[in-house]
Amino acid sequence: MTGIEQPLPQPPEAAGSTQQERDLVAALLNRDRKATAEFVSRYSDSVYAFVRSRVAPRFDLVDDLVQDVFLAAWEGIRQFQGSGPLQGWLLGIARHKVDDYYRGRLRVPEPTPEMELEVLAGGMMPDFDGALDHEQLETKTRRVMAALSEPYRLALIWRYWNKVPAREMAARLGKTEKAVERLLARARQQFRERWDDAQKSLG
Amino acid sequence: MPRNLSDKEFLERLAACTEPAETGRAPSRLKSRIYSMLVQRQAETGPLQSLSKTKTAGHGLCVFEELVCIAPVGEAVRQLNPCRVCHARILAERFEDPPVFWPNCPYVSFKKS
Repeated sequence: MTGIEQPLPQPPEAAGSTQQERDLVAALLNRDRKATAEFVSRYSDSVYAFVRSRVAPRFDLVDDLVQDVFLAAWEGIRQFQGSGPLQGWLLGIARHKVDDYYRGRLRVPEPTPEMELEVLAGGMMPDFDGALDHEQLETKTRRVMAALSEPYRLALIWRYWNKVPAREMAARLGKTEKAVERLLARARQQFRERWDDAQKSLG
Repeated sequence: MPRNLSDKEFLERLAACTEPAETGRAPSRLKSRIYSMLVQRQAETGPLQSLSKTKTAGHGLCVFEELVCIAPVGEAVRQLNPCRVCHARILAERFEDPPVFWPNCPYVSFKKS
């Protein structure tokens, strides 16, 4: 993985960092090894959990991405201005790293033939919460996502769970917005098919 | 949830009521590798904070760091990273529960954190 390509994110100004966090950052800048150990202990679990959730089921990628996040954090620690929590700043870096991963994978040409958006837009979905409680719904969603081909899975997570607009995805991928919409339409269709298959297998 | 949603509406609603599960703790060997990498990067771009200063600041030192601290060596040596040649680091980067137990070793603390 390369370093992040955008400026490091600044957290929202509403919730500032604590004195303890600012002291920790100052100690890191002094190359205090004990502060470095505390930095890793305190924040690695949340970064790990975030990255793991965003690249599932490719858990083999998690360790490298998490290391990249901490390396980028150290390289950009002077940019941390303390206007938000340190954890939020780190998760912002993690989000960029995951986006970089999505972008790298989605630049690979798609194997599926193009389909007309108009045809896909009319597709109907079954009722998804009629018989499922929240936990079952999340479990089923994870399973269906894991069964999608990688570009489709990443495109859906990027668009719907990370809430990145198609226009922004297109800009980051160097594609047209229409191309991204087509990719999303195909991804939604495959998701629907897998969802229906899972429904049938449950009887 | 109403039936007959379009694909787009379905995904929007599904995403709104589910979240990718942010669970799981970082393995201690990953924490160890991250720590080693960060300290190595810090040492590449300047001297680490001297172990004497670290001790004065109230941090505990491990047995090997203490030895470096009391040895008749210059301050420059106390700014080096003794963990680089420590077997605790090697074990901790490879095993989830490495057989290292002495106090104030960061690699031991990762087992607990």
